[in-house]
Amino acid sequence: MAKAVPTGARIRERRLGAKVAQAALAREAGISPSYLNLIEHDRRPIGGALLNRIADILAVPLAALSEDSDEAVVAALRAAGAAQGLRDDVLDEAAAIVRRHPDWAAAFVAQADSLAAQARTIEALSDRLTNDPTLADALHELLSTVSVVRSTAAILAQTPDIDRNWLGRFHANLDTDSRRLAEGAEAVVSYFDREDAGDGSGLLPAEIAARFLDGPVFDRLETDGIAAIPDLVAGLEDRVAAGLAGAALAEAARDAARLPAELVDAAETPEDLTEAAGGDLALVLRRLGRRKPGRGLVVCDAAGAILHRRVVPGFPLPVMGAGCPLWPLYEALSQPGRPLRVSLTTPDGARWRAHAVAHAEGAAGFDTPPVLRATMLLTRADTAPAAAGRPVGPSCRVCPRTGCTARREPSILSSSA
Amino acid sequence: MNDRALPGPPGRVLLIEDEANIATAIAFILQRDGWQVWTHCDGATALDAVARHDPDVVVLDVMLPGKSGFDILGAIRSGAQKALPVLMLTAKGQARDRDRAEALGVNQFMTKPFSNSDLLAAVRALATTPATR
Repeated sequence: MAKAVPTGARIRERRLGAKVAQAALAREAGISPSYLNLIEHDRRPIGGALLNRIADILAVPLAALSEDSDEAVVAALRAAGAAQGLRDDVLDEAAAIVRRHPDWAAAFVAQADSLAAQARTIEALSDRLTNDPTLADALHELLSTVSVVRSTAAILAQTPDIDRNWLGRFHANLDTDSRRLAEGAEAVVSYFDREDAGDGSGLLPAEIAARFLDGPVFDRLETDGIAAIPDLVAGLEDRVAAGLAGAALAEAARDAARLPAELVDAAETPEDLTEAAGGDLALVLRRLGRRKPGRGLVVCDAAGAILHRRVVPGFPLPVMGAGCPLWPLYEALSQPGRPLRVSLTTPDGARWRAHAVAHAEGAAGFDTPPVLRATMLLTRADTAPAAAGRPVGPSCRVCPRTGCTARREPSILSSSA
Repeated sequence: MNDRALPGPPGRVLLIEDEANIATAIAFILQRDGWQVWTHCDGATALDAVARHDPDVVVLDVMLPGKSGFDILGAIRSGAQKALPVLMLTAKGQARDRDRAEALGVNQFMTKPFSNSDLLAAVRALATTPATR
């Protein structure tokens, strides 16, 4: 079997083919040209959000940049089939399908990816409906106006002998409220148009910060440390969002100083780093989660609200609020200091390994309760036995599982959930 | 507050709603069915209106200036007219609004937009429910 072409070389080949200068690609991807040069010569690892962004900029499928693109397609095809409830023996045919019908396999995977992206969009919008008072007020105004129009129109339709004075009054009300309805609808549409424009207006500060931190902003902290933060957050116009993002970056910079990148890059499991981190398991999980390709990270407070996250493909994580109650993240909160290692299975059949630990922040006091934080690292574990995984989901609102005893609210993806 | 009374049996309804046009439509629907209707638009003085008019049914909006519909419902349930039938209206329609209203002892809960016939049926049912007053 021929040796796979490394990811860096694939990026370089595609970039040159598209006649894009290295400096231009680096600028658009939010990294320095020298860092991109190291990536292209496979002297720095790449994956996750940065690889996604480069694939977007070069307008090529992510799989085209992946070293093991066939394996990635097979894994994605298996996951898509598992989500549809296919039996294991049928799922085992995924590799043969990719070999014989690569275009059909790619189309099926693309469709599954599209569905997953739509689920994430629904969750984000649903989050916003719950948390954004501006939008809630706008929708309240719309519904109130619709009520007037509906009731008044029904009165006019069902009362043919209505008094002339009442007739004139209701016509005037309809005129006023139909205008109000049009203005309200325009306001809501323009709210979402701003969303589509991607300028971040209309988002809550926590959402803006989370989106910003989903980008390739952590790499510079490895070399420049905390000094890089003012420059990194300078583009965030929302001061509250900039403050939230700056705090997350400062913690990441302190982590980078305590546990150097070369140690993290050489490690495969949290156990490999425990000694170097002086036993600080939360530090180990944060470093692996933020730096290693293909890992996810979630940090929450004692109320279960998500403070930081690093999204990993295949394991959707909410921007705000809480996730699945069955995540080991929350189990760790009830036993601070005790590390947990749990195998998980997501609704699409994918298997994961979760490492979680909770710890108290700051110094303890006699009259103040400890401020707890829990940290969870997610690692894809496709070779783990399927039966061993704890069934979990992303969050109740977008989880299709039925009969889950931990469900706290109905799913918007399935009326029977 | 100058509450407007519209004459006629079969009963008396106090409508507490700050949206003038929806209040006009609801009052017309009820009046056409024979109800005596007072409309009141201010949350802060709504309890005075309840005491003054002694209605058979209260139709109560959730979002009001001065005092919310939840506050007014809670005060009715802990006052002299605690068995007064209350129909609550909200544009939010979210489960937690309904849960909160039920916890406070609402008799019926409707979400906007509603049909005129459903509203009328609900008021009729509340006025004839035994042992509510």
